[in-house]
Amino acid sequence: MAVDLTVQMGRLRLKNPIATASGTFGYGLEFADYLDLSALGAISVKGLSRRPCHGNPPPRICETDAGMLNAIGLQNVGVDAFLAEKLPELHAKGATVIANVWGDAEEDYVAVVERIGADRRIAAIELNVSCPNVVKGGMIFGNNPQALSALVKKVRAATAHVLVVKLSPNVTDIVAVAQAAVDAGADALSLINTLVGLAIDLETRTPKIGFTTGGLSGPAIRPVALRMVWEVRKALPKIPIFGMGGIETVENVVEFLVAGANAVQIGTANFRDPSLAGRLVGELSAWCAERKVARASDLVGTLRTRPREDHRFA
Amino acid sequence: MAVNETLRVLRTLHYDAAHYSLFLQAGTIGASARPGHFAMLQAGDGLRPYLRRAFSIADVTTVAGVPAIEFVVKTVGVGTGALGRLPEGTPVPVLGPLGVPFPTDDLKPGDRVALVAGGIGLAPLVLLARTLAARGLAADLYYGGRNENDVLKRADFERFLGPHRCRYATDDGSLGRRGRVTDILAHALEGGTSYRRVFACGPLPMFRTLAALVEKAGLDASFAMESEMACGFGVCLGCVAPTADGRFATICKEGPCVPPSFIDWKKV
Repeated sequence: MAVDLTVQMGRLRLKNPIATASGTFGYGLEFADYLDLSALGAISVKGLSRRPCHGNPPPRICETDAGMLNAIGLQNVGVDAFLAEKLPELHAKGATVIANVWGDAEEDYVAVVERIGADRRIAAIELNVSCPNVVKGGMIFGNNPQALSALVKKVRAATAHVLVVKLSPNVTDIVAVAQAAVDAGADALSLINTLVGLAIDLETRTPKIGFTTGGLSGPAIRPVALRMVWEVRKALPKIPIFGMGGIETVENVVEFLVAGANAVQIGTANFRDPSLAGRLVGELSAWCAERKVARASDLVGTLRTRPREDHRFA
Repeated sequence: MAVNETLRVLRTLHYDAAHYSLFLQAGTIGASARPGHFAMLQAGDGLRPYLRRAFSIADVTTVAGVPAIEFVVKTVGVGTGALGRLPEGTPVPVLGPLGVPFPTDDLKPGDRVALVAGGIGLAPLVLLARTLAARGLAADLYYGGRNENDVLKRADFERFLGPHRCRYATDDGSLGRRGRVTDILAHALEGGTSYRRVFACGPLPMFRTLAALVEKAGLDASFAMESEMACGFGVCLGCVAPTADGRFATICKEGPCVPPSFIDWKKV
């Protein structure tokens, strides 16, 4: 049977729900040898700043059990070089491009968004308010509903693009920050970014990461990500959601859809297997066909939970 | 162009408890590999170790007549340990060939070059020695380790380059001269030997000393740098090194083979 994989997320229409996550997919072009960029639902590019950014001194990464820590520090070519040198080729290859944007302060975010302007080659803007690896900006916005609200309002006023806000999991109440972003004008949410972690070299008793802490990603964080997607979906039934965190297989994709995500972003797994995201599109179609699911969107938010009293032992 | 393919284990040759050669089917990667290229290898089911590991393509050879690529590995952790235990026939996901190889195209007959290896840094120099020998270029090997067991694949080097061109140094004097590999190279340079280019791979202290040595002697050089990396093709930005022009460059994409003047050795 022919399965309909298309996704409508408010004004944002995707070919399918398999996108790739910012910070794990470069500017997309690096993957052109390994998959068809036009076959993906969307590509969220490396976080763009007003000016080029060198990032943090190494060591920047270390492997952990079922995942890794990173503190890259948002190294990127800057929005101008992206628009001039990367976007034309990305667009020519037929990619649906999400511009991930970050800054130290509100005016930096606004400056990047204004620089993008009304460029139709960009399908959506994704605000990174959740990077744990920079001293200013980043997660400082994502951890505080008031600061987040003020930022999103300023960016909202500066762009007519679909505005996605990528949330930090390093909060007590994910629903409060999600609500603040939506009330301030976000069209959609991405969750989750990395969880702040620490790894230690016992021989030297120093952190394995130069920045001391880093963001944990990979399969280790998937249960946390699923829980947060589910909580936000319950509280905000209408808001379009990109779910992400440790997706490696088609079953993982479907888990996120069932928890309430309309689409997913493949992240750290792109490092291990640069062909994976492309393969998952076909596998999702096959998974749905085998189970007579006519539209992938029919799976969204279909988690069946029982009242917790039922779980008590008699 | 790099490819993402699955290659089977043909043979694993253990030299001692800490070192082995892993031979995989050559695949497309073997057909296009050049000296200094590397590949990313996955061991296990992907949870532990989670990430692929980067290894120099040590040689393109055959195992019982079957085209093979060889990786020379030192067991240092969970990834290198797991790869060394894979049974013959195990399919291994491999991405490669990756990175900037050693610059060799401009070498001409009559040029004399040096190969400098420290410990497991021999890995990218085996295929280089084979390639240079096939082109009829004269190359001297300077190879150092802590002891005789650290100095691997001597027979291959001596076959490609000639035994008289292979010089060794060990910390304990169990093979060759007692001392560091950079000492025996410095001695040769002081004696009037000169090289069109110095190719090197080894640990950071060796690179530091060698960078100063080749700069003082005014020699052209190419260092195959090592770094932990998650992806191997320029997107994780985890493997960077500080550069002389004040930025962070990916070892996987701008390297691994770079001139020593490219790196800011004070900040490494």
